[in-house]
Amino acid sequence: MKNLKEIAGKSPFVVPENYFEEINSRIIASTEGIEQVTPTKGLYLRMKPYLAVAASVAVLVLLSFTALKIFSPSENRGVIPTVSLQEFSDTYINDIDALTLEEELPAIASWDRLPDVSNAEIIDYLILENVDLDDIYEIL
Amino acid sequence: MDFTDQDKEIVRLLKTDVNRGFRLLVETYSKRLYWHIRRLVILHEDADDALQNTFINAWKNIGNFRNESALYTWLYTIATNEALTLINKRKRNSALSLDEIGSYLATSAEGSTWFDGDEAQLKLQNAILQLPEKQRIVFNLRYFDEMPYEEMSKVLGTSEGALKASYHHAVKKIEEMLGLS
Repeated sequence: MKNLKEIAGKSPFVVPENYFEEINSRIIASTEGIEQVTPTKGLYLRMKPYLAVAASVAVLVLLSFTALKIFSPSENRGVIPTVSLQEFSDTYINDIDALTLEEELPAIASWDRLPDVSNAEIIDYLILENVDLDDIYEIL
Repeated sequence: MDFTDQDKEIVRLLKTDVNRGFRLLVETYSKRLYWHIRRLVILHEDADDALQNTFINAWKNIGNFRNESALYTWLYTIATNEALTLINKRKRNSALSLDEIGSYLATSAEGSTWFDGDEAQLKLQNAILQLPEKQRIVFNLRYFDEMPYEEMSKVLGTSEGALKASYHHAVKKIEEMLGLS
């Protein structure tokens, strides 16, 4: 038996007579009348003009913002609105929580303390009775 | 196998005079591509069909051919795909499978008119037909066309390492089948 490299030699397949003389003209003839596909551009190439415009706009915005930051008067920067103490307390401290009330109750309550009943229990009872904590504080 | 002067001339002509360029492309590559396809599909009629489809596809897509790959690589890729399409069509239509074609070549009178190799070549062809599809293509491209792995990698879209391993396994299997190992 021959070595694998020695077997190759000339092609063992047969082709019809004059096949290679005729095939070229047959191929050319078969393509006649067939439209060529219009070259398609890749996504990047198609988007390139839009990307350029978007990049220019972004640079312009960035430059304008930087210029405004640098050249605008300094007194306009970092202004904190003035809020009176009353407004602040009305806005931010308008709710009294149960814990605060519980802590302050002994100091402000005018009734005699009930024996064996803690302040927390009284407040829990009032909350269960749907009495508003602010109202309790006001009454006391 | 490189991007030869002939290829450069074809590419130049395709841009300036597409008909002349295409004619030169067909004259340069028809024979080489025929043998590549024939070794994959075995039967002449199938090879003839696949070859014509290869050039029709090339003609249609010439505008999309970019010089990033060699003309040679581009055409081999189209030809390989056309051959595989034909083989798959054959499988779907329950026509003669490639395995059966091997015995058809060896035994039938009609088959023998398309094959005039000696006994060793017939055995080699039958052994090649036993290989898995991808391995068969790799073996043919390397053994008969002596295509470098770098080019083959572009044609088949597979890494060079995988192709080397595939060829090595193919050779081992064939040598075993032929009793050469």
